[in-house]
Amino acid sequence: MKHVLLMLALMLAAAMSLHAAVGCDLNDPDRDVKRLFPNSSGYKTFYVSVQQKGGKDLLAKVEKRLGDKFTGMFETMDVPYTVYEVYKDKQVIGYIHGVNQKGQYGGIQIFLALDTKGTITAFYYQKLTNQSAKAFRSAEFGRQFVGLSMKDFTAYEPATGKLEGTLAKIKNPAPKAERDFKATFRGVKKNLILMEEFGYIK
Amino acid sequence: MPSLFGVAWKNLLRKRLRSLLTIVGIALSTWVLVSLLGFNQGYENSLNKDIDNLGFQVLLTAKGCPYEAATLMLKGGTGLKYMPESIIDSVVANPQVERVTPMLMHAVFDPNKGESGGITAFLGIDPATYPAMKTYLQFQQGSWFSRPEALEAVFGYESAELEQREVGDEYLLPESDAVVTVVGVLKRSGTQDDGTIFLPIKALQKIYGVENLVTSIGIKVQKETDLTAYEEELYKLTDVQVVSMAQVKQTISNLVATARVMVMSIAIIAILIAMVGVMNTVLMSVLERWQEIGIMKSMGAMTSHIFRLIWFETILLTFAGGVLGSVMSWILASTTDTLIRSVLPYSPTSSLVQVDILLALKAIGIIMAIGIVSGIYPAWKAARIRPIEAIRSTDGEQ
Repeated sequence: MKHVLLMLALMLAAAMSLHAAVGCDLNDPDRDVKRLFPNSSGYKTFYVSVQQKGGKDLLAKVEKRLGDKFTGMFETMDVPYTVYEVYKDKQVIGYIHGVNQKGQYGGIQIFLALDTKGTITAFYYQKLTNQSAKAFRSAEFGRQFVGLSMKDFTAYEPATGKLEGTLAKIKNPAPKAERDFKATFRGVKKNLILMEEFGYIK
Repeated sequence: MPSLFGVAWKNLLRKRLRSLLTIVGIALSTWVLVSLLGFNQGYENSLNKDIDNLGFQVLLTAKGCPYEAATLMLKGGTGLKYMPESIIDSVVANPQVERVTPMLMHAVFDPNKGESGGITAFLGIDPATYPAMKTYLQFQQGSWFSRPEALEAVFGYESAELEQREVGDEYLLPESDAVVTVVGVLKRSGTQDDGTIFLPIKALQKIYGVENLVTSIGIKVQKETDLTAYEEELYKLTDVQVVSMAQVKQTISNLVATARVMVMSIAIIAILIAMVGVMNTVLMSVLERWQEIGIMKSMGAMTSHIFRLIWFETILLTFAGGVLGSVMSWILASTTDTLIRSVLPYSPTSSLVQVDILLALKAIGIIMAIGIVSGIYPAWKAARIRPIEAIRSTDGEQ
């Protein structure tokens, strides 16, 4: 019984220490970095926020580039974003960055692996709540984002969700889940903009 | 004729740096003392508040059932054991029981959470009784469920943040096709409720096919109830385990007791150092003024005058240090709070160090008492100076 009570006491302590805004971290960075960059030898983790990097001015700039406002209780300036800078020996070979995006039935966590020029080398849903989640999380769907970069998303307007240019080739794997399909593009565009604005991608 | 205070004050000002350093030393000791006395009363109050915030004093669960979401996660969502809802009637039959609230914890595997899936836990609650037990829960948005069996959900702040849910949004329950509407998002409470997704118990039972079953019952008993005796009575029910919040409190208190003893020991050492420091400062001052005191006595100052003068200087030093230390402890209360939190195995959520005026006065009183005791020897030493010998001497005491 003593052990049970001790555990409860420690759990209370753990639960009470959680107060920071939720960012978007890899569930298992060691494993995930190696999976996304098989030739990597290490990585560094950086925590950055719009508030810290430029405040309201930066927020306005990001929103303008995104073509949409940051909305709701949880898409705010102070959300900490986690950037994993990936190394091969001492050389930076790329980045991994995830964002939270509001989906139809729950939160979507969209991770991108990028090379140093900002080209997507891997696309990955860490979390997605939808009846068609399996189709979205399939390798085939994710592969369609590989090779794209910010210039492909510049014209994308989250409000209309209309796909043009190279993006038009990406097919919705679950037509019933149109909202999450559109949310994915908004999330990817936001992810790329933030990586540029935070100064990781030139 | 100058007053005793005036003479003592001037004497202290003659060696300003030494007086100042002595006052700072006393102030630091007072700071430690006030903070620790504040901690003693603050910790107890804070812990009681946390326990009260749990809403019930006794949690009844099926034997071996993990009763906390965190334990459930550690066990990979397995190991849930159920009790029939009818057990509530047996519990309520006891006149010592003020209120009960049934709960159903349900954990499901969500294959789309993380690389290889994860566990999501839900807590089914009775909207008629649970909110009354957890009165500290406040809403950021919305409110509790509209009906006992409604397909609705209330999210703790952190679970809402993770799922990016707000009032009016839909949420798909994993391992089912059921979609619930978010009707409330709670404010941060600093408890495990922040990470909980609440559903009406009837709805949760129906969706996951566990009708008429519960995993735990929260029990609030009458104030005058002997909890230990009541727990024994509960164990007469078959296959149950009883978790008493009084026991939890005792366990936490035991965890902290060792740390408190260590910290109090440090405080006593700090006070002793201050005491020796004061005595040393005043004694040095007496030795330096050996001739001067001799002259004062030759001019008619009585032994009692000299004794009172030196003693008063000591009391002035300790009073100034005590006041400064009390002010410091009040200003630095939050810093002290953080420092203490960093060494404790468990810290309640609200303020650990509660400094109030009564406590500050008490500490000043203790420090002045120390000053009074410390000042006796130097004052006695000064009072017994023989004028002729003192005037003849060249280097203070011979």
